[in-house]
Amino acid sequence: MKSCDFAVLGGTATFEKMLPVGQLYFPSWDRYEVAMRGIFDRRYYTNQGPLVLQLEAKLQEFLDVKHVICVTNATIGLMMAAEAMELTGKVVLPSFTFLASAQSLSWTGIEPVFCDIDPVTHQIDIAKIDELLDDQVSGIMGVNLWGGACDPVALEKFAQARNLKLYFDSAHAFGCEVEHQKIARFGSIEVFSFHATKVLSATEGGCLCTNDDALATRLRNIRSSYGAGKPVPVVKTSNGRMSEAQAAIALLSLEDFPQNQQKNETLYHIYEDRLKHIPGIKLVKPAGVTFSNYQYLVCEVDECNFGLSRESLIAVLKAENVNARRYFYPGVHRSVGYINNQTEQIDSLPVTDELCATCIQLPVGALVDSDDVITICELIDKCQRNADHLKIHFAGQDI
Amino acid sequence: MKAGISTKVQVQDLACFGGSRTFAEPKSTSSLAQPDFDNFLQYSKKFFDRQHYTNNGVLAKMLEERLAEFHGARHCVAFCSGFWGLVLAMTTLALKGKTEIIMPSLTYRRMADIAAWTRLKPRFCEVNKSTLAPTRQTVGECINAETALIVAVHPIVNCCDIEGIVKLGQERGIPVLFDSVESVYEATNAGKVGGFGDAECFSMHASKLLNGFEGGYITTNNSELAHRLALLRTYGFEGQDNCVFAGGLNAKLNEVHAAMALANLDELEQLVTDNRQRYRCYQAGLAGISGIRLLEFDETSKTSYKNIVVELLDNWPLKRDETVAILNAENILARAYYSPPLHQKQMSYPHIPATLEVTDYLARRFMLMPCGAFVTCDDIDRIIMLLKYIKSNGVEIARRFAETESR
Repeated sequence: MKSCDFAVLGGTATFEKMLPVGQLYFPSWDRYEVAMRGIFDRRYYTNQGPLVLQLEAKLQEFLDVKHVICVTNATIGLMMAAEAMELTGKVVLPSFTFLASAQSLSWTGIEPVFCDIDPVTHQIDIAKIDELLDDQVSGIMGVNLWGGACDPVALEKFAQARNLKLYFDSAHAFGCEVEHQKIARFGSIEVFSFHATKVLSATEGGCLCTNDDALATRLRNIRSSYGAGKPVPVVKTSNGRMSEAQAAIALLSLEDFPQNQQKNETLYHIYEDRLKHIPGIKLVKPAGVTFSNYQYLVCEVDECNFGLSRESLIAVLKAENVNARRYFYPGVHRSVGYINNQTEQIDSLPVTDELCATCIQLPVGALVDSDDVITICELIDKCQRNADHLKIHFAGQDI
Repeated sequence: MKAGISTKVQVQDLACFGGSRTFAEPKSTSSLAQPDFDNFLQYSKKFFDRQHYTNNGVLAKMLEERLAEFHGARHCVAFCSGFWGLVLAMTTLALKGKTEIIMPSLTYRRMADIAAWTRLKPRFCEVNKSTLAPTRQTVGECINAETALIVAVHPIVNCCDIEGIVKLGQERGIPVLFDSVESVYEATNAGKVGGFGDAECFSMHASKLLNGFEGGYITTNNSELAHRLALLRTYGFEGQDNCVFAGGLNAKLNEVHAAMALANLDELEQLVTDNRQRYRCYQAGLAGISGIRLLEFDETSKTSYKNIVVELLDNWPLKRDETVAILNAENILARAYYSPPLHQKQMSYPHIPATLEVTDYLARRFMLMPCGAFVTCDDIDRIIMLLKYIKSNGVEIARRFAETESR
């Protein structure tokens, strides 16, 4: 391979179609058709229908949790959770998370307080929570990141000792296990995402898990009156319903979970094997779990050792039709809606800032196969070896 | 299931007193329209082949274009539900620094909760006694220095005073958002619903005229508003990693729901024709019963004929809620019309308490009757016969109710 082959330098793109980073598993057409025909035959479209009931029962069993409440998406699920838990004032959460974690708090009138993270695991740094606590902090939102976990056992002890409420944004963690038990039972509530980019897909969707009967009843009342069971007083309701169509796809996706997880894991190990020799590229291992869904493939790019900036690498890969992404950028604490509230603390999250500037997400999931992964790794390797040449191209460009 | 109605020769034959039900399967007030399955599949194939299941997919975009055209509005923005569409439209349109939102009390039971998500205080306005809808006058009486937004809600049958309220908003410099959930197909002399005020909101819940499983949309002629709403439903992102608006969330419409809505949109004219036939059956049947009045559609303009609303007049022998209870026991899922009204409900969020005599009066008198895909003209005949039976034996039924209560 000659360095001038790079698409960014005018060569032909390595892949014909853009390789996405999301999971994008979906049932086969035949199974989709059968499931949808079933809905048409029953003429039951939404409002806690038979498929949602079935999905909730199956998830309760799969996740080994007493109550599963399916919702239209995880953001609305997080909003319902904050509402049901009656959180007030402020809630501590990492800034190294998807924007929606913090937005769900803003929608419920709560001020997010951002905590820094561990540089190795990327998960919330529990040792740094204490310095953020004041009288107004009513709870902690743990975020289980990258198919790993944020040490929920330690967080539970921490929160209990300080009389703080605790719940989890587990959007990345479906099917993952801590000490050989499924993530779902920690804190008061855990919220999972069934967005198309996640390992379990309902196109859009999610669920809330809890072992607390009273919270489950409140959540069902907040979601909507249909299937609410016993009416209990709540401050305000919402529309968080999952339709029968969403449930049908999630049920099929749940059937496929073992093979989809297996595929992710296989691809992860190929990446692991091929990237470990490339200077300046460090693959992030899902932390704190005994079993991972491997739904995210994240690397840190060390510019000094790699020879190119993270931004330049992304530009090279995108030109090759590899939709590599910086993820999460620029960090919630530096995003619109939050940056102005943080003027004094803006620089208090050095690890978050560092990782927001160096992380890269690479393709994994339904639309990527082993050969693709090998090719992507070869491309990254080639970038490293031709870094000086590429650098000339990027010199002076503001990317 | 033919059992039931003809056998109701004595009062104890009513299901509420132990008799058998008129209908084996429930007859609800939901539309539940079902499109041609193959057409739904054809639409589905478009997102399936692209392996693009949500996030502003090809079908969501197609649906938005079709609906904008249908309503004669410049823009349409689709959401996961009308609920969150309304929340986002309210927060976006509300005048900054103002605290109150004007809405009728005789409306959707979650409307005040929707306002609570925006942290604006609902101020409930009266409605007109004959249209059941807010008017220029009833809304105008509520405007004060704190008014941030007018939410004008169309009633279940016909439209509210569109031109009057739009003009009022313009004169007083207050934005107007129409809740047009029950008026998808309607038009007035002023034009088609969908292009009025600052924006209009619609629902695609299965019970509504346009069934998309779940879903909703906003129409507007304001390009900036449409752009902002489209980004806010996707966390405020404009392209990768670039959040440009605060106050976003996830309110995206997925592709399967969009496929369903598109397939149903293809058959909307047939649905309205079927609705008209059902309406005619009710019209003919109810004409023969005194004490019960059908709320008639204004047929001088386009109307969906979807919802069947009746008023129980002073000479109807039973209370509205008793009548609803009798019908429900027969599997006729009639519902009280917006009762209790919002201002009478417990609210633990900030709101303006109100005394609304007309609303209270109206909230005791109306009920919705079964309609939609599960209701045939034969069903309606049976419902009419039952109503006749109730009317003829009202005194005896009322006596029985009183006995049951005193036990």
